Amino acid sequence: MSIEVKDLSFRYGKIVALDGVTMRLGEGAVGLLGPNGAGKSTLLRILLGFLVPERGEGTVLDYDIRRDQAMIRRSVGYMPESDCFIAGMDAVTFTSYFGELSGMPRQEAMKRAHEVLFYVGLGEARYRLLDTYSAGMKQRLKLAQALVHDPKILFLDEPTSNLDPTGRAEILELIRDISVHKSIQVLLSSHILDDIESLCETVVILNKGRLAAEGRMADLRAIHYSLYELRIKGDGSAFRKDLESAGSRVEEMEDGLIKIYMPEGADRMDLFRAAARTGVQMRYFVKSRTSLEDLFAGVVGVD
Amino acid sequence: MAIVREKGYTHWNGQLVERRFPWAPIARTGVRLAFRKKGFKFVFAMAFMPSFVFLVTLYISERLEDFKGFVQGNTALLNVDPNYFKLFLTSGFVLFSLLLVLVFAAAGLIAEDLKHNSLQLYFARPIGKKDYILGKMSVVAFFILILVALPWLLLVVFKLIFAGNFKFFLQYPWLPLSILGYSLLLTVFLGCYVLLLSAVSRNTRYVIVLIFGVYYFSSVLAEILKKAFGSPYMALFSIPADLQQAGAALFGQKLPLAIPAFWSFLILAGICVLAAAVLNRKIRSVEVIK
Repeated sequence: MSIEVKDLSFRYGKIVALDGVTMRLGEGAVGLLGPNGAGKSTLLRILLGFLVPERGEGTVLDYDIRRDQAMIRRSVGYMPESDCFIAGMDAVTFTSYFGELSGMPRQEAMKRAHEVLFYVGLGEARYRLLDTYSAGMKQRLKLAQALVHDPKILFLDEPTSNLDPTGRAEILELIRDISVHKSIQVLLSSHILDDIESLCETVVILNKGRLAAEGRMADLRAIHYSLYELRIKGDGSAFRKDLESAGSRVEEMEDGLIKIYMPEGADRMDLFRAAARTGVQMRYFVKSRTSLEDLFAGVVGVD
Repeated sequence: MAIVREKGYTHWNGQLVERRFPWAPIARTGVRLAFRKKGFKFVFAMAFMPSFVFLVTLYISERLEDFKGFVQGNTALLNVDPNYFKLFLTSGFVLFSLLLVLVFAAAGLIAEDLKHNSLQLYFARPIGKKDYILGKMSVVAFFILILVALPWLLLVVFKLIFAGNFKFFLQYPWLPLSILGYSLLLTVFLGCYVLLLSAVSRNTRYVIVLIFGVYYFSSVLAEILKKAFGSPYMALFSIPADLQQAGAALFGQKLPLAIPAFWSFLILAGICVLAAAVLNRKIRSVEVIK
């Protein structure tokens, strides 16, 4: 296992950020999914040794997260969520600088900086001042600095945030290439479901600091509930209570659409029976395809 | 899907090394970045002006016969001794030129990292807070040592060369040590002072205002307090006065303030301790918003 954590807990003052998270992650691209404030970034920061967990233990590539932080940081490339650069520097200097700080000899770091900048598509702009870079270029630069020392694992924190569709597609393509063809494990933290769905074989879903779901995407897709979407006319609250008492979870969308997550084995006719009992008219009914979004909504309870 | 990569990714075959001084790349890069700043080379060159003036003075003092008409009997002004070194080194102009260099080279050292969120990139590497601060402090040390220790030690050598004998050195053998000691004091104090202020704001312009403002306002405050309370101890509130007092003590000269030099050292050390506490608090890989 490349990453293993057990009963990991952390709090910012009174706010619980992680609460007893236990997981084991293997090879390949792993998606770390969760709504804002779920604890994704906190988990990455604990794994990097930025934060000391209040409770629990863990290893990254068999290095202890409490004791072997320097070794972990040598083996891990980190791409933070926020924009970060050093003013007055060009991309080559910036990338080689962080290569040197990782422990690369100076000349090697410089040579390698050129290589990774070409790889991420900044070859032509590598001598331009970073202050003049666009959001997409800064994002690729962050990826370059994370790759410069040839890490074994990449921690990517919201790598597609603030990007236009083209920029997003470019970054995702790079990450896919890294994880599929370059044998670098990727731990991708995001709240954008499409990113995770298109890149990752395994997914970990966090919610309110707790592990909500974990496993291979294919297995998780074989979800243990059926999802129906419907529109009704009448007293929605009574209808909702009726369904919830039968073990279903009900979500109301802003546009009036109602999503019903029915437990495995439940009969869809129960929906119509509940409607009849509570006196509501069903105006629209469809069995929805189960996507990662549904899974996410199912375990996290958000739309 | 769009493909942006211009070349394929290749693994690096080298071995990462554990550096003896992990802060060295930070120091080197900090110095290089300073020289890339607009106008810095001019300011840096101008900071050597006092040393150059002193060099000319040294030459004239050893060739009084040749410069009789120029000196016009004011030979007392050319009596080069440790007090003369002290007067130059602790003069307002020398300290101002040092501050000016540091404003260009060091005001943004931490402020820029805070502004551009780059601390997390540093700490994602195998370096610690201590290495980061040492690296940044080394940038300040580089400029102070190159502007104070190096030229003024060379000036002692020039004095001997112009005199053509070792009389001056034998008379004041401790002078090089005083210069080194004063340079170290300036390095540690100004390093802490500038980094402290650089860490309290994300805006380099505010930091520049703070560096000059605190430095000169402390003198104004000391004067006001001195007038109000009539105590010579009030002069301790002035940073320039403390530096001059400590400088005079290190050169073994008459103290400008009528109080023991110990108090000035204590004040300067106190500011350094405050700087250490602030830096420890502000420099974090993760900013925790409460």
